[in-house]
Amino acid sequence: MLKIENLHVSIGGNQILKGINLEVKAGETHAIMGPNGSGKSTLAQVLAGHEEYEITDGKIEYLSKDLLGMDIEERACEGIFLAFQYPVELPGVNNTYFLKSALNAQRKYRGEKEMDAMEFIDLIGDKIKLLNLKDSLLKRPVNEGFSGGEKKRNEIFQMAVLEPKLALLDETDSGLDIDALRVVANGINSMRKEDNAIIIVTHYQRLLNYIVPDFVHVLVDGKIINSGDKNLALELEEKGYDRIVEEAKA
Amino acid sequence: MKAVETFTTDFESTLDLPDDNLNLLRRESFEEFKKHGLPTRKEEYWKYSDPSIISNLELEFVSSGQYEDENYDVILVNGKIVKRFKDCQMGDISEGLRSGNLGEDLFKKKDKPFLNLNNAFAINGCYLILESTSRQTIRILNLITNEGKSQAVHPRCVIIAKRNSESVIFEEFRIMGNGTSFVNSVTDVIIEDGANLEHIIMDDFAENTYHVANVCVKQYKDSNFVSHNFTMGKKFARRDFNVELNQSGANCNLFGLYFVDEENHIDHHTTIDHKEAHCNSKEHYKGILSGKSTGVFNGRIHVHPGAQKTDAIQNNQNLLLSDDAIIHTKPELEIYADDVKCTHGATIGPLDEKGLFYLRSRGLNRKEAQQILMRAYVNEIIENVSDEKIRSELMELILDRLPKEG
Repeated sequence: MLKIENLHVSIGGNQILKGINLEVKAGETHAIMGPNGSGKSTLAQVLAGHEEYEITDGKIEYLSKDLLGMDIEERACEGIFLAFQYPVELPGVNNTYFLKSALNAQRKYRGEKEMDAMEFIDLIGDKIKLLNLKDSLLKRPVNEGFSGGEKKRNEIFQMAVLEPKLALLDETDSGLDIDALRVVANGINSMRKEDNAIIIVTHYQRLLNYIVPDFVHVLVDGKIINSGDKNLALELEEKGYDRIVEEAKA
Repeated sequence: MKAVETFTTDFESTLDLPDDNLNLLRRESFEEFKKHGLPTRKEEYWKYSDPSIISNLELEFVSSGQYEDENYDVILVNGKIVKRFKDCQMGDISEGLRSGNLGEDLFKKKDKPFLNLNNAFAINGCYLILESTSRQTIRILNLITNEGKSQAVHPRCVIIAKRNSESVIFEEFRIMGNGTSFVNSVTDVIIEDGANLEHIIMDDFAENTYHVANVCVKQYKDSNFVSHNFTMGKKFARRDFNVELNQSGANCNLFGLYFVDEENHIDHHTTIDHKEAHCNSKEHYKGILSGKSTGVFNGRIHVHPGAQKTDAIQNNQNLLLSDDAIIHTKPELEIYADDVKCTHGATIGPLDEKGLFYLRSRGLNRKEAQQILMRAYVNEIIENVSDEKIRSELMELILDRLPKEG
């Protein structure tokens, strides 16, 4: 599904990613872990198409297409979804209206009929329950005045409605209490299917107790220095990043 | 100064009416206008808007025409009433002066050249007297018809909200035809004790329109005024919006939205005079500028001696959609009382890039994402219009007229 080769990325002259290689197949869940400033979020943003980053080398193939040649919205319509680390507040933009417009933009792209208000309300009913979302949040402006946990839940709610092929979860666990973490993780798990994939970007092993990854990668200073299965995450938690870095160098 | 010459010829040609009180007042106003001529950029309040753009026009005075439309209660074509509203007292200016419904004060010489010019041409115009204490909504169309001519019109509208009356007035300015028009409009609003008036003023003009508008509001004890000012400026638009809070307990809420694109120019000068204690004013004006357009917002709050417990808030926000658009925004606070609360703020910026990225990352293209953000931006002003039907009509029209990026 996704093949990243030798990806080099810089912003404002600073080299952030220094040769990333990663392959993600349909049905897989990958976790990318790493200390602050290692480039985890940059990778997620670059995949979503953020225009501030400069790709200095490498290529990304997504569903056999050149991902770097696509606009932000084209990537979204092709099934890439980024759950933001810091979801953006849109004052005055109604949450339901926003999501319906987004869904219809994607349906239009795929040549499907756009949904009217009634069909849309039917569609979101179950997903609201799945994420235990307050009805009132749907009537409010997007993310405005939402608590940290509500914002993250709203991201996963959007994911549930848009049904992406490749979901990028950027620090989705930060700001969530234990109960909310469980709700969000259950929501994500229920969306795992044979034909989609998830990349989870996180500092901590915590979320991975609930969403068990097939692969874990350790990203340090713009490079993946170690890859393994779920046990690597446990090892990281136990030893800390410094020891893993040293061991990798040795 | 072609314009002033033609104003003079036109003025003289309209004097062959009976030499009544109105004509005397008109003469005085015209003398006063001629004494100073059109303003120049040397004057502080015209620093960023060049009125010479008008003085070079060769204009013909027009004051008649026909039009029918069921959607409006009152219709004026080129400043002359062609449709009357039956459920309130109304008439033209000369009738109003003769019957004593209008005071002469409104037509005495003023310190603003365009007001004097309008007074000089106040032949027709219209006045409305609002008395109903159950809420009444009146839609007024001020239509300019211009088929390929270069013309001047001086529409005048006087609205008097009587004691304890409740009304909504929607005053719409439109143009039909593709000529060059100089529209010098004046709206007087008098709000008596305890009256509530919501006033919507909107212009939707054609390309070659030069519009100078004066809105003069006088409020009395415990009156409430809510104003919505929508200006979709064309070639040149200058609107002076003045509110006098003359007696205690008078409150005003002024909302404004203006757009300007290409190489056009738009200017709002608002003044709120707090003349007595215990009056509140709130002002929120938002603009969207694109292309090589220029805009001016000058918001003056004048708290007179003795106007204690004044509470005045002013806010002006501007969205610039291009690198070449320019906005001059200036709050002007003059305060001569010591127990008052006055705040002001101004912002200038582009569309929120983070918001655009967020929207696009959900599948909306850049244009759609911009539309969503701009809709939210303008809605903050439009949502204050209380009448649902008018509000949705305005929203539809305004979304259609939004300037494009670049």
